[in-house]
Amino acid sequence: MNITESVKEALTHIEERGLQGDVYGVRKRTITYTIQKGELFDSSEFEDLGLGIRVVKNGRIGFGYCVPGAEEKGVSRAVELSRVSQLVDIPLPTAEMVPPVKVCDQKIVDEADGKGAELIQMLIDGAHSVKDDIVLPFGILSIITGKRVIGNTSGVFLEEESTALFSGVAAVISGERTSLYAEKIKCSRQFDIDFYQLGAEAAQKVDSMREKSAVVPGLPVIVCPDALAQLIGFAVIPSFLGENVRKGKSLYHEKVGHPVASDRLVITDDPTREWGLGSGKFDDEGCSSGETALIAGGILKNFLYDLKEGVKSGTESTGNGVRADFKTPPETESRNIVVRGQGHKRDSFFEGDAIYVDGVMGAHTANPVSGDFSVVANPAWLIQRGEKKGRLDGVMISGNFPELLKEIELADDYTKTFFDLNKFKADIPTARLKNVVVSG
Amino acid sequence: MDTEKIITNLGENAHYCDIRTEHWERTAITLKDGLLEKVTHGEEEGAMVRVLYENGWGYTGTSNLENLNQAAQRALSMAKSNNKFKKEKTGLSDIEIYQEEVKIPMKEDITDVGPEEKIAFLEEINEILSKNFVTSIELRYEDSLVKKEILSSEGTHIRMEIPRVLVYLIITGKSDAIQRAREGIGGTKGYELTKEAYKRTGVVLERLEALLRAKTPPSGVMPLIMDSHLTGVFVHEAFGHAAEGDTVTSGSSCLEGKLGEKVATDTVTIKDDPTLDGYGSFPFDDEGTKARPRILVRNGVLNNYILDRESAYKLGLESNGGARAEDFRVKPLVRMSNTIMEPGAMTFEELLEGMDKGVYAQSSSGGEVSPAQGTFQFNAQVAYLIENGEITTPLRDVSFSGFTLDTLQNITGVTKDFYMGMGHCGKGQRAQVSDGGPHVLVSKVTVGGRA
Repeated sequence: MNITESVKEALTHIEERGLQGDVYGVRKRTITYTIQKGELFDSSEFEDLGLGIRVVKNGRIGFGYCVPGAEEKGVSRAVELSRVSQLVDIPLPTAEMVPPVKVCDQKIVDEADGKGAELIQMLIDGAHSVKDDIVLPFGILSIITGKRVIGNTSGVFLEEESTALFSGVAAVISGERTSLYAEKIKCSRQFDIDFYQLGAEAAQKVDSMREKSAVVPGLPVIVCPDALAQLIGFAVIPSFLGENVRKGKSLYHEKVGHPVASDRLVITDDPTREWGLGSGKFDDEGCSSGETALIAGGILKNFLYDLKEGVKSGTESTGNGVRADFKTPPETESRNIVVRGQGHKRDSFFEGDAIYVDGVMGAHTANPVSGDFSVVANPAWLIQRGEKKGRLDGVMISGNFPELLKEIELADDYTKTFFDLNKFKADIPTARLKNVVVSG
Repeated sequence: MDTEKIITNLGENAHYCDIRTEHWERTAITLKDGLLEKVTHGEEEGAMVRVLYENGWGYTGTSNLENLNQAAQRALSMAKSNNKFKKEKTGLSDIEIYQEEVKIPMKEDITDVGPEEKIAFLEEINEILSKNFVTSIELRYEDSLVKKEILSSEGTHIRMEIPRVLVYLIITGKSDAIQRAREGIGGTKGYELTKEAYKRTGVVLERLEALLRAKTPPSGVMPLIMDSHLTGVFVHEAFGHAAEGDTVTSGSSCLEGKLGEKVATDTVTIKDDPTLDGYGSFPFDDEGTKARPRILVRNGVLNNYILDRESAYKLGLESNGGARAEDFRVKPLVRMSNTIMEPGAMTFEELLEGMDKGVYAQSSSGGEVSPAQGTFQFNAQVAYLIENGEITTPLRDVSFSGFTLDTLQNITGVTKDFYMGMGHCGKGQRAQVSDGGPHVLVSKVTVGGRA
């Protein structure tokens, strides 16, 4: 039985019991090739299939999961758990026109599978093209194709095919006491990654770490898109989640309409953006996707809600019901964060003196409530009079990220990035930050 | 077609193969501010086929056991194809072959306890944690029972039943800023683990109380005392990942080539032991190798790595049962289990003696490590300033970082107390682990504070 038929089968079992509910089905095929010590190491393949079933009985929600073929058992399990659940009346979305969003590249479906070994060899060749003493301890290429299906007893039945390529490689220059290490990662929904270039960029990055510099205090800190995504994702985005706002665990509680950031800053959650890593035409509860403004012109505009939190907060879902997998019920999460600002040319940030941070370690230890963070900047370089000097070892950067947003300056090099394929995805540029505490 | 027949057929065409079949049953409950937020229950099963053809590996998994033979043929085809690209010789170290059935005992079987009772347990904990300075309480209960069968072309046939229970206590309070404290309790056992959760409620309340009075920390290089939990996180993150065999053989560990070398002060002994009573325990690893303790550092000298069969083969060593897979969807990787630093002889008061200024950090709210560079970053849940040998002001959002090998050489005090906490380790896959140790004094680390 395919996943579409399985979702329909489970919905029939819910309706036969005279209940309301929804069924989320997922089929996800992942083929992964890995590199170890500069050569193809192995490959693996897995096709995941499963259903998450949510039923509403006497105003109580029950959730169970199962694999295709066990729909009746899955529905029974959800009904059984509804007995002990909290009383929440979720308004299931009704059928409506849902415009398509570009998230499926047929070229990945048709061509990528057969080319995996060839693509990963391009990655290796690119990295090896830089310097002979650079080794590649590991690397990865994952080819992901899948389908989401959501159906409910109010008439919603939506399906969406999607694709993604995920690739990365680590490059090392071995040393006596410590080795130099850099990695480069890229993810795209399209078959548009230049694998040779990606490998070469990883090797060039570690190659540029050979010289060492010392920290100069008081300099502005330039943060690359990947690092900025991590800092915003862990230190700021939790304050936009409806539940945190309702419970007073958000810095932005009761600040809608007030200035909270630089007057040029715009943060939206936009899952309708073409080829966005978190894009899709509907959320995992069957709500149509739309753009939600969080901050516009520095003014706080809105928060994010799923169906259940919308009810609890006295508002409506913003289409932010997200499931980590079919085994977990939806929770409010951001889907495809877009951060825009002044749109400076990236090169202009590098004209004076600065610290350039190309990655951070430990962003997940940021305080999600206060926004305080203290992370290792790694790798990082000293920039002097527009020139990239030596790497900076053991440097920590600290501050309060919501405060830093008040003086943030943003470039125009929008990059599709993520730090957890199941959680946070963003379209984000390079930033220049002032008043960051630098130690080490 | 049955699994044994598939193994026999595959084994005739490959150099090695195994099939790991798993059936999972899981329950998850979340209680927020006394209200039931989530209760889920489900079952799933699947298998992962692993084939070695000359030097090429192929892995194929399926969640439909009726397709197992097709998955096996696909894994063989991938292994043959990958072999064409491989220059490095691949092999597996020899292991003792077992045919054994093991059930981890449960005093209270998790499948005999209904959701009502599990919810009532969380409600009792919620009551205990409801103090006037606590503004929000989130409690999570999770249990799982995996029935696992491993069959290999070498004759391994292991059947295991492994139960695990996990409880998270997360509480929030507000002073000038909102603060959060948490504590996890996990074990490879039955529902009886929930009794331990009652004992940890005082710890998490004390931690939040301190955080609500806490100041922002100083920054700079200074001495640090780590409590047992943080010592555990240090040995796991900063040292343990660098001691994983696949990290060593891939050329990305700062411990590569250092077996037999002095890497820490004499007072440091570190081991990883899946036979301890912890959250990361198991009787056999996911290659069918019998679990055993691994002494990684003995009195400061690097003694061993954590090894699966392939990394052991490459290093000319013996596998010590280090292969673990999150579930049937993924291949086994070299992972830790219960990682600890052995206690020493000092008292906590002796660590404080003569310290003009330093930081005493308790528990962890996460960290990250680069095994190749040997660098780490951790965040303590709460910390205290040490001034003139006395513990004074509580501190919040304290992070510290350093080089693993330098830090191990800067350990100048190890106490005789011991505690082992639990956690989840991410390495592309989630693994249940425990870590712990005594209180440890590090003479200097970089503290990243806002002051």
